[in-house]
Amino acid sequence: MLDIENLRVEYISASARHLAVDDISLSVKDGEFFTLLGPSGCGKTTTLRCIAGLETPQGGRISIDGNPVFDATSGKAMPTQKRDISMVFQSYAIWPNMSVAENVGFPLEVKGMRRAERRRIVDRTLEMVGLTSQADRPATMLSGGQQQRVALARAVIKEAKVLLLDEPLSNLDAKLREQMRAELRDLQRNVGTTSIYVTHDQDEALSLSDRIAVMHGGKVIEVGTPHDLYLKPRNLFTAQFIGEAQLFPCRPLERVGDGFLVETSFGKILAKVNTDLGGEATHVFVRPEHTEFVDPSSNACNVLSGRIVSTVFSGKHVEYDVETTCNQRLSVSASSANLRTPGDEVSLRLPPDNAVLLAGTA
Amino acid sequence: MQTATLQGRSFAFEKWLPSLLMLGLLAYLVLVPLVILLVSSVKPTGMPLDPGWTLDHFAETYSDPAFYRMAGTTFIFAIGSAMGALTIGILMAWLVERTDLPARGFVRVMILLPMATPPVLLAIAWVMLASPRTGFFNEILSPLMGEGRHLFDIFSMQGMIFVESLSLAPTTFLILSPAFRNMDPNLEEAARTSGAGIFTMIRRVMLPVLFPSLLAATGLLLMFGLLVFDIPGTLGMPVGIFVLSSQIVYLVNDAPGGLAEYGPISAMAVFFLVILLMITWGYRRATRNASRYVTMTGKSFRIRPYKLRRWKAPAVTFVSLYFFFATIAPIAILIWTSLMPYQAGVSLDMIPKMTMANHMAFFANSRAMSAAQNSVIIGGLAATIVALLSVLVSWLVIRSKAPGRNLIDLLSFLPLAIPGTMIGVALTYVYLTLGSLPIYGTIWIIVIAYVTTYIAFGTRTTHNVMLQLSPELEEASRASGAGWFRTMRRVVVPLTLPAIVAVWIWVVSHCLRELSSALLLQGFDNKTVPVLLWGYWTGGEPNKASAVGLWLILAMIILVSAWQILSARGRLVGVKA
Repeated sequence: MLDIENLRVEYISASARHLAVDDISLSVKDGEFFTLLGPSGCGKTTTLRCIAGLETPQGGRISIDGNPVFDATSGKAMPTQKRDISMVFQSYAIWPNMSVAENVGFPLEVKGMRRAERRRIVDRTLEMVGLTSQADRPATMLSGGQQQRVALARAVIKEAKVLLLDEPLSNLDAKLREQMRAELRDLQRNVGTTSIYVTHDQDEALSLSDRIAVMHGGKVIEVGTPHDLYLKPRNLFTAQFIGEAQLFPCRPLERVGDGFLVETSFGKILAKVNTDLGGEATHVFVRPEHTEFVDPSSNACNVLSGRIVSTVFSGKHVEYDVETTCNQRLSVSASSANLRTPGDEVSLRLPPDNAVLLAGTA
Repeated sequence: MQTATLQGRSFAFEKWLPSLLMLGLLAYLVLVPLVILLVSSVKPTGMPLDPGWTLDHFAETYSDPAFYRMAGTTFIFAIGSAMGALTIGILMAWLVERTDLPARGFVRVMILLPMATPPVLLAIAWVMLASPRTGFFNEILSPLMGEGRHLFDIFSMQGMIFVESLSLAPTTFLILSPAFRNMDPNLEEAARTSGAGIFTMIRRVMLPVLFPSLLAATGLLLMFGLLVFDIPGTLGMPVGIFVLSSQIVYLVNDAPGGLAEYGPISAMAVFFLVILLMITWGYRRATRNASRYVTMTGKSFRIRPYKLRRWKAPAVTFVSLYFFFATIAPIAILIWTSLMPYQAGVSLDMIPKMTMANHMAFFANSRAMSAAQNSVIIGGLAATIVALLSVLVSWLVIRSKAPGRNLIDLLSFLPLAIPGTMIGVALTYVYLTLGSLPIYGTIWIIVIAYVTTYIAFGTRTTHNVMLQLSPELEEASRASGAGWFRTMRRVVVPLTLPAIVAVWIWVVSHCLRELSSALLLQGFDNKTVPVLLWGYWTGGEPNKASAVGLWLILAMIILVSAWQILSARGRLVGVKA
């Protein structure tokens, strides 16, 4: 549906050359909700703006539904307004000189649709986002969440092949953001448009996306489903950027059944994720919420004993800082059903099924 | 595998075309007159297309002590009036924005009224108020001074500086008052709580924060002072005190040989052009870095006004005196003179002789009416062109990534450094000698002169508005499928409309009062109202001049008020997405 090949964007200022997008290739399937996730300055917004045609790359090719819209070798670019895309902006970009209905109906007005017909479709779209009663108000009179819905309605009404969303929820407060996240997901499912979503918020990315591309320093680090990126990341950056992960350097020892045994500063650990790395593995990690407290008499593998140093209680769960007998600090996230206090002697188990091997330098 | 071809334009072409068009237009407006001016300075006849080359004009001009006297006079005048206007402007801005001066809102409105008085009229009024023999102030004070002596002589350097300072003070106030208004009082309070006294506070905190605005104001005032004609022309020329602009007008219109001496004029102009360009460069640097000192933080703060206490009476006196000298007295004397059948001092005896004849004559005179018509047409055309051009220039400079946009910015700013007299002379060359367009002596040549002169102001205003306009508003339009033209029509123009209208009115009002270019470019049927007024005045008909002037002031007051209201609205629109 959307294909990007070897995209490259350079910013050249008087003093320096900066590669904002460094040789990115992506392929997004029809109807997919695809997210570009990364810290600020990683090139995700630049990539999105290249797809929209708001930015002219120095290299690469972009095509939408098989139609090329940009090709650096031929030096041709299709102007934004000719591309089969629609876009939701971070600032919503609601035109203050138009009413809600005029804003939403603008893409139809551009197509030359007659007023009466336009109004019918506008009303239907406004109903979809729950703004029917606001249709004739000036767009500037709306609250942040409502403006966000206007921006969404304006993007959806165009019925473009690709919907581009540039951090659309980042200007909303936390409660509203959660609510809008759900609405956005429902809307996308109903309309079925291929969507490219840019965000730096991992929760948003995980809960909305079919697939996520993790970006860093202008490059795509890893592409995968939310499930894969969280449970079996292949890359050190991904492991640390999505969710919490305390990486332990390790020395690979030997294959044991369907797992791989590695040596760490606090003993031998059996890991069952990414065992194909085998002798290449340099790090191992287990997410704090996968680490379990176990009975000290248990003689299962991957069990460590230690003492609780401090706790942070946040209602739903409790974060424990544990010091093992060989002076290794570990953080554990556990349910608040069973509270422990600093000084308690505990035994921890790092489940092999959740122990992930990684290769690379941190 | 689909093999659709890319339906796009080459982005190299798309990038260059608008820049080239705009650069061509601006070069035609700004560079052509400048180049012609330079060329004519090295031609024996002073006409750019005539044969031969010579440096005689330079040798002659720069070896003549009279030239250096004139240059010295010009600088004294420029620096003196800049200092005068700064003193009045800074005090006014501080009093209005930061102290508990009574009736500050009223003062803020009143201070802009002198802008409605064309400088030439202010000068004429001051001749009536303070000329050595018949000036009103001298007459009422004559019993104190004794027979044949007088207190004020407006026909002097001091007189010129005094009137120019009055006339430039509102501009200074307009530049400085936002700086005073937006200065975070925390800065002052922090200095005070650190134990700094008021003078330390002013020196170490206020001055550095205000420095960029002060620098910008000083640069602008110096430029105005170096290129203004109206006031030195009215007050200095009759007694042989010449500054650059009046010297040029004199050499063009009243040259001793009867023929305009374009060679020496150009040679002289080159010297000032270099200096003006240097000031312009400095001004641009000062204003470009202004954002480094931005004191507006977006968070709102309440200004706790400085309590004047026992200084309140002197402050009120100062403000009242300014209004009296800059507005009330000049307009009063113009009204009086316009009602007199001949030039007469203010006295009870003359009251029975009051007449509306001068005013009636203005409306009955076909020459006067055609001048009014010319002024309106020229103003309307020039203002419309400037407003549209400014939006396009600002869009290219601020919004687009068009190549050459810095050059476009520079070219649109350059005219600020070119005196109206020089534009007048240069356009005379262009259209008299090149003969490409037969517009010499028509209103069109004046329209071109005004577009060139005022594009610099127009673009500064539209730049600011364009900077406030979030680029995503335009991008959203393009992403909705709208092309460039529709985006401009439906999004950019509606959102910048208050600023566009403000520019339009400002340009119209300046076209209505502009004298020097129009004077040099006047032909058979393109006289404007200020030129007519100047003709009456220099032709010894002060009563008619006063009557015409009053109607001009009335038109100006309406325009200036509209401009103020719209500028305020434009700021309020706060066009952010």
